[in-house]
Amino acid sequence: MSNNTQLFTEEQMDFIREMMNIGAGNAATALQQLLQCPVDVIIPRVHILPVAQVTSILDNPIEPVACVRMGMVGDIGGAMFFIVPEESSEKLVKIAEKAQMGTRILPGQKHGEEDFSAIVEIGNILSGVYLAAVHDFCGLNINHTVPVLAVDMIQPLLDEALIKTSIQMHTSVLVENEFMIGGPPVEPVILIEHDIVLEKQSIKTFMLMIPSAESIKPLIDALGQAKKAYGAA
Amino acid sequence: MAQRNITIIMGGGAVTNAPHILSSQGVGSCVVVTIYDRRRKMGGMAHIMLPGSNSVNGRGFPYHHADTAIVTLLGKLRSMGAAPRNMVAKMAGGAHMFTCSDDSEPGIGKQNVSSIRQILQREQIPLSGEEVGGSYGRNVDFYLDSGKVIVTTAGKKEDVEL
Repeated sequence: MSNNTQLFTEEQMDFIREMMNIGAGNAATALQQLLQCPVDVIIPRVHILPVAQVTSILDNPIEPVACVRMGMVGDIGGAMFFIVPEESSEKLVKIAEKAQMGTRILPGQKHGEEDFSAIVEIGNILSGVYLAAVHDFCGLNINHTVPVLAVDMIQPLLDEALIKTSIQMHTSVLVENEFMIGGPPVEPVILIEHDIVLEKQSIKTFMLMIPSAESIKPLIDALGQAKKAYGAA
Repeated sequence: MAQRNITIIMGGGAVTNAPHILSSQGVGSCVVVTIYDRRRKMGGMAHIMLPGSNSVNGRGFPYHHADTAIVTLLGKLRSMGAAPRNMVAKMAGGAHMFTCSDDSEPGIGKQNVSSIRQILQREQIPLSGEEVGGSYGRNVDFYLDSGKVIVTTAGKKEDVEL
């Protein structure tokens, strides 16, 4: 079996981590605009690991998570997932309701299931933010496809992606984000008619990117180009 | 003998005998197949990822594909003294986890299920129970003392006994 540490050099992994740190900072800004309340980001943990080990990062692999799946298309193909553990997803939905992000039934949402449309919207926006960070850093153009939501245990949600990305080579990049959401309104001059979230709440989310086997080489090449451009970063 | 719980990971498989338990957690589009010899109280479980067989890529990973997985389980059970005429099979899984309106191709889960059905028929092992399809993940526990297979979900559905 191939090993991740063989796939990327230590330096390349540092570049990926740096890219994701920038993404996380931008994600906090995007969330702040979306939720209309202050958002601080705790320094994210970036893991580069086989997809099969992703479940071990979550505290309880049997606990349901809200999961938004998107395909990656463009210079890098594959799949990406925005994952919010149960407790955080409930908190996030409540915050989004207060920000009046709107609630609607989405295709793919099962009847009677809690309204997670806000999670889909947040996943959609944050994925774009992370992909933009990748573009700014190493010039790769990646778009994501229409997000689809499911709520279940993490492993069954990922197994299809794991199968499709080929069996031996299944490296992924997992960004573990903790956002502190809440506090006084960002722009006090604007009259906000809805309730604002005054107490800071910790929201845990994960952004998982699984490049297809064919995309590993373009990714490594782009990282090499970026390294040249940035000098000894 | 003390009862042991043996966990089968995705793409893995194992055979054992009573009173042990074989378990697979978080089965999505994969399919878990159990084969049980009622008389000798021994059996095997495979957590199959893909339909059909692939003799080139599948080398060294006998439980990844439906065909090689079932043949491997049967071979191991026979060598333990199990008789094919006493064997019954059960399966669970084959879900389609992300449902959206523009799904055109049949999901990998469905393909897995129909492939396993064909292979069991070819090997003349009767399928005595199944809990397949849907759009939810499953945990599967196979009790070797009774041959029972219990399928549980993360609150999506009541537990099912096969």
